[in-house]
Amino acid sequence: MAHFNLRKAEPKDVPDILRLIKELAKYEEMEDQVILTEKDLLEDGFGNHPFYHCVVADVSREHQKVEGYSVIGFAMYYFTYDPWIGKLLYLEDFYVMKEYRGFGIGSEILKILSDTAVKNRCSSMHFIVAESNKASIDFYKRRGASDLSLQEGWRLFRIDKKNLLKMSAEE
Amino acid sequence: MDFTIRAATLEDCKDISRMILELAEYEKVSDQVKITQRDLEQDGFSKNPFFHGIIAEVPEHLKSREGHTKVGYSLYFYTYSSWKGRAVYMEDLYVMPEFRGKGIGKALMSKVSQLGLAAGCTQLNFTVLDWNKSSLDFYLKQGCWDVTSDLGYHCMRCEGDALENLAQGDL
Repeated sequence: MAHFNLRKAEPKDVPDILRLIKELAKYEEMEDQVILTEKDLLEDGFGNHPFYHCVVADVSREHQKVEGYSVIGFAMYYFTYDPWIGKLLYLEDFYVMKEYRGFGIGSEILKILSDTAVKNRCSSMHFIVAESNKASIDFYKRRGASDLSLQEGWRLFRIDKKNLLKMSAEE
Repeated sequence: MDFTIRAATLEDCKDISRMILELAEYEKVSDQVKITQRDLEQDGFSKNPFFHGIIAEVPEHLKSREGHTKVGYSLYFYTYSSWKGRAVYMEDLYVMPEFRGKGIGKALMSKVSQLGLAAGCTQLNFTVLDWNKSSLDFYLKQGCWDVTSDLGYHCMRCEGDALENLAQGDL
């Protein structure tokens, strides 16, 4: 199936982006964790200082497998920094609807992202994967990704808002 | 101990570069540092910075054995969670060994938290090496939790030839 188009997301895509974010969260069994709204996505992605960038995959009406949806895949990314090697591209979300998998759409999206990384002089693309997600881990390892948590012992830590407020109030 | 925490300026890049190397030596990987003082100046202090910095400074009479008054730093940048929205990522946190145990590390982290909250962030993320017991203990005491351990998230990387191949579309 060659009838899909990959393009930069526009403000009008925000409802579809949120729909796909929730579908991906459901796939990861974390659907109730998504508190982001369309308003947040619009302000944070299409204002003066975007916090993220998005590419979307869309199909024309006659090739739709699922009634009413033309945007059927997306990737959300932003630029980060490693003080040892410089700029990096961080892949936050990457998803293609179930009905459209196996047609090379995911590979094409990754190709655009890595091309974006190279063009912006990023030395690397980073992302996280849940260790239980064997299918995704295999997909990435086949493409040369390495697991930093296993190989180098990196653990991701987080502080949530409640403790952030506590910490910021300390003298 | 008498110290101040303030935003880093272009002039601080010399000391930030020095301390980046010190931190890399502490993590036993100083040969991996490719970024120069000039790169830091360009990437952190131009119109679209890729990172922000804060510095811990002591008065002249408390300077280090080698004569440094800039004794700690943190590098951070803004990221995005597709579930929760704006987030802040603390890339580096470092205090010179002779100035530890005096609340400087905590004050630097508190400042990053304040800045993150002011920018509308609801979480602070960072990575720690699994052998770094003193850092792991420090962070757990501040109310952080280990996402890798609790949710099984692994940090992945695609770089060098793998990134180039992905951009070319080769498998």
